[in-house]
Amino acid sequence: MTLKVYVDRMSQPSRAILIFCKVNGIDFEEVKIDVTKGHHRSPEFKEINPMGKVPAIVDGRFKLFESHAILSYLASTFPGVPDHWYPADLFTRAKIQSILDWHHSNLRLGAMNFVLNSALGPALGLPLNPQAAKEAEKILSASLLKIESVWLKGNAKFLLGNFRPSIADLSLVCEIMQLELVNENDRERVLGPHPKILQWIENVKSATNPHFEEVHGILYKVKARLHSRLESTKNNTVDFRMKPNPKL
Amino acid sequence: MTLKVYAHRLSQPARAVIVFCKVNSIDFEEVMVDFTTGQTLSPEFKEINPMGQVPAIVDGRFRLFESHAILSYLATAFPGVPDHWYPADLFTRAKIHSILDWHHSNLRRGAMPFVINSALGPAAGPVLGGPLNPQAANEVEKILRASLSKIESLWLKGNAKFLLGNFKPSIADLSLVCEIMQLEVLDEKDRERVLGPYPKILQWIENVKSATNPHFDDVHGILHKVKARLQSRLESTKNSAFDLRMKPNSKL
Repeated sequence: MTLKVYVDRMSQPSRAILIFCKVNGIDFEEVKIDVTKGHHRSPEFKEINPMGKVPAIVDGRFKLFESHAILSYLASTFPGVPDHWYPADLFTRAKIQSILDWHHSNLRLGAMNFVLNSALGPALGLPLNPQAAKEAEKILSASLLKIESVWLKGNAKFLLGNFRPSIADLSLVCEIMQLELVNENDRERVLGPHPKILQWIENVKSATNPHFEEVHGILYKVKARLHSRLESTKNNTVDFRMKPNPKL
Repeated sequence: MTLKVYAHRLSQPARAVIVFCKVNSIDFEEVMVDFTTGQTLSPEFKEINPMGQVPAIVDGRFRLFESHAILSYLATAFPGVPDHWYPADLFTRAKIHSILDWHHSNLRRGAMPFVINSALGPAAGPVLGGPLNPQAANEVEKILRASLSKIESLWLKGNAKFLLGNFKPSIADLSLVCEIMQLEVLDEKDRERVLGPYPKILQWIENVKSATNPHFDDVHGILHKVKARLQSRLESTKNSAFDLRMKPNSKL
């Protein structure tokens, strides 16, 4: 029975799983769960993941949620996954876990709320919130700085100075990619001061293309829609709260 | 060179690491770093952990922060740690990772600010602390309750003694229960109001205590002292119309 991966490509951790599977030739079925349509709250999906979130996997009778747990499970279970993704070396592995743990309350917290409050909110039926976006931006910027100073020291190609990417590189870069949704000025303001981050993103892309670009394709489509709506909203002084577009 | 554990017993994840070491007879030196006075922000400590947080460990030349990474490292690196703490079985191990990951944005996201906003306030120090804020406490209490509910319905189903129905505790049990123990600094009424509706949670806490005592109670002793101080301050504040904003007590 093929591995089933329940995802929404708008979800950063979902994209990390998809790319990981494709890069490693892992046979799987992508089951699309549309968060903007509320699919994640359906009773059927709650059978798969009682937390009602993507990503989730079903491997035979084994169900699992939380992307970091999924990535380390896949790296350990599927034959042929190169060691660099989740090294068997105890010390490197522990450091990768450390980065993934830190991610939840730092990069993810900052990036997710920044993107939600400055661009994506309306697609989920939420108003934009510049104040909240500002708060989140502080956390996001502090996180980017920490990544550069702690894990991308010197000429580091990947986190921890590794020569090849690990699941930590993939997870964190997929998160930062969500900034493709915010307008050019904001994105430049946040990422511009971090050349090492920008280089690192390119390194991860190179190591995982064409799959990385293909999986991230949705962001560019969504960005175009979001920005054309924002423009028409400004032009027609309608209620800022946009209804979710089922086609998004 | 002995393992060094940089900790403060008021920190939930620090307690989990200390209890784990004691229960498994891992030889270590506990180095107290006081986050309530901002000691975690000192340049000396930032050499140990650039994130300026506890817990952190130094094992020879190896440095590590983030309690979940520390717990799984210790379980794997030190001989004689029973398998149940961090099972080698791929499926159980993955489920334990899943719980620990979920913890960050759920139980911890609810419990920590709830305790700070309703009781610890400024006593939590310059980074985490602030004035008491009942409004904020109310908001995060919802996240806390939803998390306790999820733990009961998903991981403590039926007569489960420990998470996932395991017969012995894992690092997930220890980490989550240490988090919930922080509610000990609240006054009885509040703690009862929050935990009372969750009998499975209460039983599970007792199970974890039984499996790890006397170390669990010893390490958590600080919470009773902190609670007593907080309450005597609240009393004297009520009695003398002082500014409600309490200064951090460096001895806490």
